[in-house]
Amino acid sequence: MIDQIIDIIGVLNIRVAIGLANVLGLITISAMVLTWAERKVAGHMQRRIAAKEVGPFGLIQPVADVIKLLGKEMLTPADVEKPLYYLGPILIFVPVLVSFVVIPFDARLQVMDVNVGILVILAFSSLSVLSILIAGWGSNNKYSLIGSIRSVAQNIAYEIPLLLSLLAVVFMSNSLSMKEIVEAQNDVWYVFKQPIAFLIFFIACVAETNRTPFDLPEGESELVAGYHTEYSGMRFALFFLAEYTSMLIVSAVATTLFLGGYKGPVLPGVVWFLGKTYFLVFLMLWFRWTFPRVRFDQLLNFSWKILMPLSFLNLIATGALLKL
Amino acid sequence: MLEKIRAELPELSISEVSYPERGYHLAMDAGREQILKVVGFFDKNGFYLEDLFCVDYVEYLELVYFFNNHCGLFRVKTVVRLEPDKPTAPTISDIYAIAHWYEREIHEFFGVYFENHPNLAYLFLHDGLDSYPLRKGTVKVPEEDRKLLGSGAYKESEDTFFVNLGPQHPSTHGVLRVVIKMDGEYILSAEPMLGYLHRMHEKMAENRNYAQFLPNPGRMDYLSALNFNLAYVETVEKISGIIVPERAQYIRTITCELNRISSHLLWLGAFLADLGGLTPFLYAFDDRENILDILEGVTGSRLTYSYFRFGGLFNDVDEKFADGTRAFLERMWKRLDIYDQLITKNVIFINRTKGVGILERDMVRKFGCSGPVIRGSGVPFDMRKLEPYAAYQHTDFEIPVAQNGDILDRYMIRVKEIETSLRIIGSALEKLPAGPFNAEKVPKKLKPPKGDVYHTVESPRGQLGVYLVSDGSETPHRMRWRVPSYSNLMTFPFLAQGVLIADAVAILGSLDLVIPEIDR
Repeated sequence: MIDQIIDIIGVLNIRVAIGLANVLGLITISAMVLTWAERKVAGHMQRRIAAKEVGPFGLIQPVADVIKLLGKEMLTPADVEKPLYYLGPILIFVPVLVSFVVIPFDARLQVMDVNVGILVILAFSSLSVLSILIAGWGSNNKYSLIGSIRSVAQNIAYEIPLLLSLLAVVFMSNSLSMKEIVEAQNDVWYVFKQPIAFLIFFIACVAETNRTPFDLPEGESELVAGYHTEYSGMRFALFFLAEYTSMLIVSAVATTLFLGGYKGPVLPGVVWFLGKTYFLVFLMLWFRWTFPRVRFDQLLNFSWKILMPLSFLNLIATGALLKL
Repeated sequence: MLEKIRAELPELSISEVSYPERGYHLAMDAGREQILKVVGFFDKNGFYLEDLFCVDYVEYLELVYFFNNHCGLFRVKTVVRLEPDKPTAPTISDIYAIAHWYEREIHEFFGVYFENHPNLAYLFLHDGLDSYPLRKGTVKVPEEDRKLLGSGAYKESEDTFFVNLGPQHPSTHGVLRVVIKMDGEYILSAEPMLGYLHRMHEKMAENRNYAQFLPNPGRMDYLSALNFNLAYVETVEKISGIIVPERAQYIRTITCELNRISSHLLWLGAFLADLGGLTPFLYAFDDRENILDILEGVTGSRLTYSYFRFGGLFNDVDEKFADGTRAFLERMWKRLDIYDQLITKNVIFINRTKGVGILERDMVRKFGCSGPVIRGSGVPFDMRKLEPYAAYQHTDFEIPVAQNGDILDRYMIRVKEIETSLRIIGSALEKLPAGPFNAEKVPKKLKPPKGDVYHTVESPRGQLGVYLVSDGSETPHRMRWRVPSYSNLMTFPFLAQGVLIADAVAILGSLDLVIPEIDR
């Protein structure tokens, strides 16, 4: 009996360890590719060429960037709260990493199918704001502090509509497991059954990842660089990469919950999954290079006064329709 | 108006002067005691304080007040003579808000004390200075005055804190520093700190001859160097009586308007970057590049052109210039549609700008604002129409005016001004006469006759005035620059009070400041 339990734990652990290693690799490479993609998208939207010298189409450019950033001095300003200051950039990666564990990349390609998958993602994605707060507070800089406080207010405001829009999907699929939700979309994707929920979810995602037009925590024209004003070198790069990884995770979650995850004809599931995810990421890039930034009170008003009642109504309507 | 002044201010000696020669209509001598009454009279009659400065005539100091009217042009120069040692004058900062800074400036450069002035701290100069720089001869700064140098210490309380917006901040566009007292995200008070780019151009002018000063004005406002260049050249021409040939006038108009468009385009990009939209910046620079190429073809430089000479131009334009300008006009009209779709129709942009940073009509007068800032508040005040210079009277154009005075209106005004400029260039190009581009017999070393002259042009940021006093020698006795951004910036502390920091950044952007021009 005990032997069996040890066996199961052992197998699980090895599976999780291998899975985590792979996820880590995927995230890092994806984030680097995304920095390249952002430059390319921005370039073409702004009628210029963007990176093209390093490697074919400038594809090796992120590697060059990372090497450059590794060579930079990691300056520690005199008056920072050292433990917090050092912890911030490291902590920001953890939630993203854990979130990927429950994402099904294909029918059989998933690190762990937890039966409360959505809860895991929601719980951990809320953590990233903590590291922003730590970084902003630890920097001992007014701009950083304002930036991190903005981030907290923003995340609280957008977490609720995000959660409510997800609940509508859970109502329909009767499951919290990511894989079962994907399987429930065999016939029709939830984006067609729940368009309002998808819209709310995606807007909230953009806000959660601090992207334009909701990039207030780092709005450079107001707060210089927001919560990472005092960070340099590789520590800054970690924040920079974390932004792209969190874009990736919210897009992956949106794909899983609304766009049928790995489902799709002919091509293997992984391709469909990644294709849909990157399409959503591209949408976010598109937003950034098109819209100006909203003001802080407008941002909060939009969430509390529009998104939240709307998501409530959507939820009630979904529940009523399902029961009828 | 003249009768009214005579009736209400009978004790003053008033003399009419020739406007085309001197650039102002009336000269008045007021005593120290009468000046408050004079200022009150002009304030009551809707005049604004165009400029306030000091001239050192060694035997006495002269405070010069320029009053002007927004509707019909009527410029009055009022003079107060002061004793050279320990000069004092009453402050008028409670009547005209802009005088607050003008008086501080006079105090630090000439040592004139203004009684009851709320804060005579130095505006531009740094701590190490021991004499008043614009006085002729050395006048030591007394010890109690030196204590005013540098900025004061700021006390933070539990709920409020101070933030230095600048001098190195992405949205101050240059080295403007604004000390902001904040309560959370809200601004309680804002105080601009000037002088980070102060180069004392007015003193430089007194130390070199007229031709040597030619490159300087362009360095004051590097975004509209031609307009500044033009203001200087026309002032000197006015005082020396040089007649400029028609062709040169037209070319001056065309190049100045091209410069205006390039300045507005750069503002457009930078302003949207302030609001967080980064793409319009690149679009605007793409168009601006065209203008720079055209201007480089005739002037030889891309930013600080010193293209105009006394009596004409550095060189004539060719067919290539005309063709290039025509091609640009054609292209720019199409591009304006793109800007319209990308920016003007954007909901986020409108929400950010509508009803924010409202400047009332009376306020713009008290602050002496000009340019798109005043036209956004419903005053059709444009030097190109009111005091036509170069070839503007031969071109047909309308002054765009908006009514609300908010950021959106200032934006719309500037976009419409690009259209206006395109029209002016188009019609000026059509009418461009043949002939010489330089006046004959302009001496290498100019020695203008004794006297003073005031001349204004409309720079992209507003009314740019030059006051020149010649003592008959090769160098000016005093050259005063009335710069538009100075008075426009002065409104910022009042606009920023009680708004969010994001709005303050938008307001600062909408004023279109060029810091080296303010600091001079």
